[in-house]
Amino acid sequence: MELTLRAQGLKKRFKERQALAGLNLSLEQGKIYGLIGHNGAGKTTLIRILCGLLRPDEGEAHMLGWRVPSFRIQSQLGYMPQEIALYPDLTVMQNLEFFGDLYDLPKEQVRERASSLFEIVRLQEQRHQVVGTLSGGMQRRVSLCVSLLHKPRMIFLDEPTVGVDTKLRRAIWEHLEQLASADVTIFVTTHLMEEATRCHKIGLLYQGQLLTEGTPQELLTRTGAKTLEEAFTIIEDQGVSPR
Amino acid sequence: MKSWAVAKNVFRRVGKDPRTLALIIFTPLLFILMYGYSFAGSPKHLKVIIVNEDNGLASVRTEQVGRITIELKLADKFVNALNHETLEIIKSANFDYAQKQVKIGQAWAALSFPKNFSHALINAALRMTGPKEITHEGQTIRVLPSEGNENPLAVVYLDDGNPFIMPTLLQELSQAFSNLLAEQQGALKPVNLLEIHSVYNNKITALDYTAPGVIGFALTLITIMLTVISIVRERTSGTLTRLLIAPVRPWEASAGYMLAFALIALFQAAELLLVSYYLFHIHFVGNPAWIALIIFVYTIGLQGVATLLSTLARNEFQAVQYILVILIPSIMMSGVFWPLEAMPPQIQPIAWLSPLTYANSALREVMLRGRELSDITMQLGVLAGFALLMLILSVQSMRRQAYSA
Repeated sequence: MELTLRAQGLKKRFKERQALAGLNLSLEQGKIYGLIGHNGAGKTTLIRILCGLLRPDEGEAHMLGWRVPSFRIQSQLGYMPQEIALYPDLTVMQNLEFFGDLYDLPKEQVRERASSLFEIVRLQEQRHQVVGTLSGGMQRRVSLCVSLLHKPRMIFLDEPTVGVDTKLRRAIWEHLEQLASADVTIFVTTHLMEEATRCHKIGLLYQGQLLTEGTPQELLTRTGAKTLEEAFTIIEDQGVSPR
Repeated sequence: MKSWAVAKNVFRRVGKDPRTLALIIFTPLLFILMYGYSFAGSPKHLKVIIVNEDNGLASVRTEQVGRITIELKLADKFVNALNHETLEIIKSANFDYAQKQVKIGQAWAALSFPKNFSHALINAALRMTGPKEITHEGQTIRVLPSEGNENPLAVVYLDDGNPFIMPTLLQELSQAFSNLLAEQQGALKPVNLLEIHSVYNNKITALDYTAPGVIGFALTLITIMLTVISIVRERTSGTLTRLLIAPVRPWEASAGYMLAFALIALFQAAELLLVSYYLFHIHFVGNPAWIALIIFVYTIGLQGVATLLSTLARNEFQAVQYILVILIPSIMMSGVFWPLEAMPPQIQPIAWLSPLTYANSALREVMLRGRELSDITMQLGVLAGFALLMLILSVQSMRRQAYSA
């Protein structure tokens, strides 16, 4: 088992609020890790620290062999933030071309890659449409394409399928599973239990700490719950990790 | 009543935002104080080089003792009569040198008194006023105008590149001549005594003079607005996060912004110059390449200021507030509309803290006076230093933006 990411003792405080309280995390290569937690549990803070956008007050993280933040890993990192994070006045293709330039991707490669991504997220028709005129769900799909454009080895997805219909969500998850089988490591935050069950491993973040971790089946067995939602409620009520 | 509810809500929100409250209370004060302090003064310490060859002697005819020579030293008296607060007098022996100093902007005027100035002036006065009684060696004698027609002219060479300064200079010189003539009981008009030459033949009007400053001001306003709002928008929309997660170094992102907005500023400068030149016939004698260079270097610095401001601003509205706070002093105090020389001395050092002052000065030197690159090295040097410092600080702030995005 090869680790893509290893974080130890991550702490981060914003004024009165302790966003992360000594968090440890390991991500295995080629696995999908799902992070579940309420709003304000610290999910986005954790992603921002791991991506090198935020410095932790304490603790450290290593990713793809380098201590975070490191310029050396940036080209291998994919990140889809919660917000749309696209240029609304540019077309879908122009957005992709711009980010392709930042990753030094040749124009031809961007075009090919965009075509295959558009097929997965069903955006072929909209490729020349201005992003601002697309629906929220479509914009999120474009955002996902931008995050995957440069074939990153480690991908962070912050609520990637909000506003995306069930059928398309399945298609996106199938693609994520394909990526994982090609040794890409995926870290995803979600509110949807349907998505959580598709992860190889899930963790429950509660008040800046990982309350529990395991495969979906392990969590169900440990808590004796029928659904993951029920399992998380039990774990949160206990307030301590049952592992 | 619903309107009242809307209005009340506006007041409630303003009351909760200290920045907006400060903007409402202090911006008008800032405007009027700056205006009062910056535009209150009149020009002071204007350098004037005096080449005094007057031997001070006058040969006059008298009724009683024939022709006598009296020592009047009228040129010295003239110099003493000048207002030494407004004019800073520098003495020189060489009028060519003095004129050259005026031409290169080191002095506002050069004034030359010929050798026979005292002699010619007193005789010219006598010719106009008729015989006059004077005390000579304890004896009252009557002096008569001489028959000659010697020219009493003092020659003035003026820098008329600044229409706000020139009237002050002329007025000071005329006043001193009037005082001198009143003392000699003459009735000559001062203009008769002065032969005036100027560097630009009175071609520079107030419109010409303010044009470079207004161009600098317009570019400052537009560039800072555009940059701050673009960066704040990049940050709030999340694209800045994507940009900084990509293998892009903060300096590359900063430099990209600087390049884009400096090129936009160049385009705008060309627009402004073409309209001023062809529509308003603004005096323009300089090399456009130097203008482009000044604007390029200056706007690069402005990007830095804008990037720093965007770090402070959480949203577009706050950005506008910061822009106002930075822009008002720099516009009021950088000599756009009022010459720095006319500002109160305690305000002047503040004016020289604003990069716009250097940009204005350099633009004016090139546009109005046709100065070369070697003549504006000081201004360009300061602007380049400002640009470099701002580049470094803006890279730092880009890093911070990444962490706080």
